Amino acid sequence: MWPLARLAAGAFSSPDAFLKVLAAGRYRTSLVNSLALSTAAAFVSVALAIVPAWVFARERFPGRDLVRTAVSLPLTFSGVLVGFLVIVMLGRIGAVPKLAGLLTGRELFAGSAFTLAGLFLAYLYFEIPRAVMTLEAAFRHFPLELDAAARSLGAGPIARLLHVTLPYAAPALFSTLAVTFSASMGSFGVALVLARRFTVAPLEIYTELTAFLNDAVAGALCIALAALTFGVDRLFARRSA
Amino acid sequence: MLRFVSRALLRACFIIILAVLLAPSAAFAPPAASEDKIVIQYDCIPNYANWGGVTALYKQVAGVTVPPDPKGSSVAMAALEKEKDNPVADCAYYSGAIGYQAAQKGLHQPYKPKGWEKIPDSLKDPNGLWWTVHTGTIAFVVNTKALAGAPVPQSFADLLKPVYKGKVAYDDPTWGGTSFTFVYGLNELMGGTEKDFRPGLSYLKKLDANVSSYPRESIYNSVLRGEVPIWINADGNGYKMKYVDGGPVEVVIPAEGTFTMPLVMGLAVGAPHADETKRYFDWLLSAPAQAEFAKSFFRPVVAGTLPAELATKFLPDADYKKARALDLSNMAAAADALKKAWLDEIRGTGR
Repeated sequence: MWPLARLAAGAFSSPDAFLKVLAAGRYRTSLVNSLALSTAAAFVSVALAIVPAWVFARERFPGRDLVRTAVSLPLTFSGVLVGFLVIVMLGRIGAVPKLAGLLTGRELFAGSAFTLAGLFLAYLYFEIPRAVMTLEAAFRHFPLELDAAARSLGAGPIARLLHVTLPYAAPALFSTLAVTFSASMGSFGVALVLARRFTVAPLEIYTELTAFLNDAVAGALCIALAALTFGVDRLFARRSA
Repeated sequence: MLRFVSRALLRACFIIILAVLLAPSAAFAPPAASEDKIVIQYDCIPNYANWGGVTALYKQVAGVTVPPDPKGSSVAMAALEKEKDNPVADCAYYSGAIGYQAAQKGLHQPYKPKGWEKIPDSLKDPNGLWWTVHTGTIAFVVNTKALAGAPVPQSFADLLKPVYKGKVAYDDPTWGGTSFTFVYGLNELMGGTEKDFRPGLSYLKKLDANVSSYPRESIYNSVLRGEVPIWINADGNGYKMKYVDGGPVEVVIPAEGTFTMPLVMGLAVGAPHADETKRYFDWLLSAPAQAEFAKSFFRPVVAGTLPAELATKFLPDADYKKARALDLSNMAAAADALKKAWLDEIRGTGR
C-alpha cells in the first residue's frame, strides 16, 4: 500500500499532471496505443490459443509434455529478452530475412522487428502461451457428456458449437482475454527494445522518470494506465461471470 | 518414451541449475562482498571508452572493484537525484553537458583530483564539481560490410538519401549523453540556437525515414555484427571496433562539421565510499589510466599521454579541424526542453 500511496501523492502533487496526461499529445497517444495494442494482442492470442489448448486438455499423444513445455517456455522470458529474440529473428540481419534470401533471393522482412508488426508479433509471442495455459485449465473440465447429449438430440456440429460448446466456454474465454490484456498493458521490456516511434504508456512512464524525474506526470500516467486496465478487465469479467 | 526422456532432461537441468545457484564458489560471489574495496560509478559501460579495461586495470593495481553499470548519462543523473536522501553511488560519468547539469542541481561535492592543473580550464569546473577525463568527437561509425553496396556516407546530407533507409541509428537522446550532444550540436550546425530547436528537429524528422531504431542500450555489438550499419556516436567507439575488434568499420567525420564532447566525472554528494573514490579519481588522471582510456580512442585530457602508435590511427587532423566545441552551460540550460521537443516531434508521434 505504501508504494501506491507514494505514487498517488506524486500524481496529485502537481494539479495539472492529469490534465497534461489526458490532453492531446504524447501521453494520451501512448495510452491509446497501449489500449489498442493490448486489446488486439489479447483477442488474436486467445483466438490462436483455442486449438492448442483444446488439444493439450483433451488429447494424449507422444511428446505431449515436451511440446507443452516448449509452448510455455516464453512465459519465463523477460520482456527485454523477448525483444532481443525478435531482433535476432526479424532484425536487418535476422534469421528470417537471411533464410528468405537463401530461398527466394530477396531478403524479405529485413528490419521488420522495429515496425509495429514486429512489436505486435513480440506481444503475441508471450501472450499466446499465457492464453494456452489459462484456457487449457478451463477446457479440462469441459463436460463431454453435454456434447454427446446434444448430438443424440440431433444437433449438427455447427449447432453444437454455437449452442453448447461456445456458451459453455465463453466465461473461460473472457477471463483469458482479461489475463492476456492486463499482462500486455503492463509489459515494458519488449517495447523498450523494439518500439521505434510507436510509444506505449509504460515506456512513457520510464522516460518521465529517467529523463526528467517528473514524478507527477509519471504517477498520473501510472494511475491512468491502471484505471484503463481495470476498466477493461471489469468489462471482460462481467461477461465471464 | 519421449515423455520419459523429456522429463528426465528437465529434471536434470533443474537440479544442475539449482546446484550452481547454491554452490558457495568464489567465482559466483557477487562483486560487492563486504571485505572488498569498492567504488560505485553510475554510467560505467564496459564497451564505452574502454571502461571495462580501465576498471580491470584498477582492480589489478589497487585491488578496488568498480562494477559495470549500464545507465546512460541522463539516467545516471536522474538516479543520483532520486537517491539524494539515501545515496548509493560514489560518482558518475557523463557526457559534458549532463555532468554540468548534475553539478548545477547540487548532486556533486567538490574535489580536485591529483593532476588537476593539467586539465585545460575550459574542461573543468573552477570549484571542482566536475572535470573532464577524456574527450570524444561525434562521428558516423559505419559498418561497411553491412551497407550492402551503398557508398560510405560522407555528410549529414548523404544520410538523408533513400539508399540508407533502415540503416541509420542514433541513441535516444533522453537516455544517452553522447546522443544528446549530437542532437544539440546538430541543431547549432543547422542554424538553430539554444532556444530555437526547429532547424535541428526538421533535419532529424527527415532523417527519421532512414532510422531503424533509437536504442536505449549500448548497441556497440549490434554495429560490429552489422545489425546496424550506421551509428551516429563517438568516434572512439568506431576506432575500437576497427582496430581492437577487427570489424569492417570506418569512422567518418561529416563534411558539414561536427562537435567535440568532453566526458566528465564528479563526486556524488553523500558518496558512501568517498575516500576510496578520491583515490580512484586521482588514479584516473595518471598516465597509465589515461593511456588505458586511449586504447578505446577517446583522447586523454592530460596532454602527452596518448601513445604514439594510437595517435596515427585517428583520422587526419584536417578532419578534426571540422569539430567545434559546444558551450556546456547553454547545453545544460537547454537540456530538458530539447529532450522534450525531441520526444514530442520525433519519438512518440506514431508508427
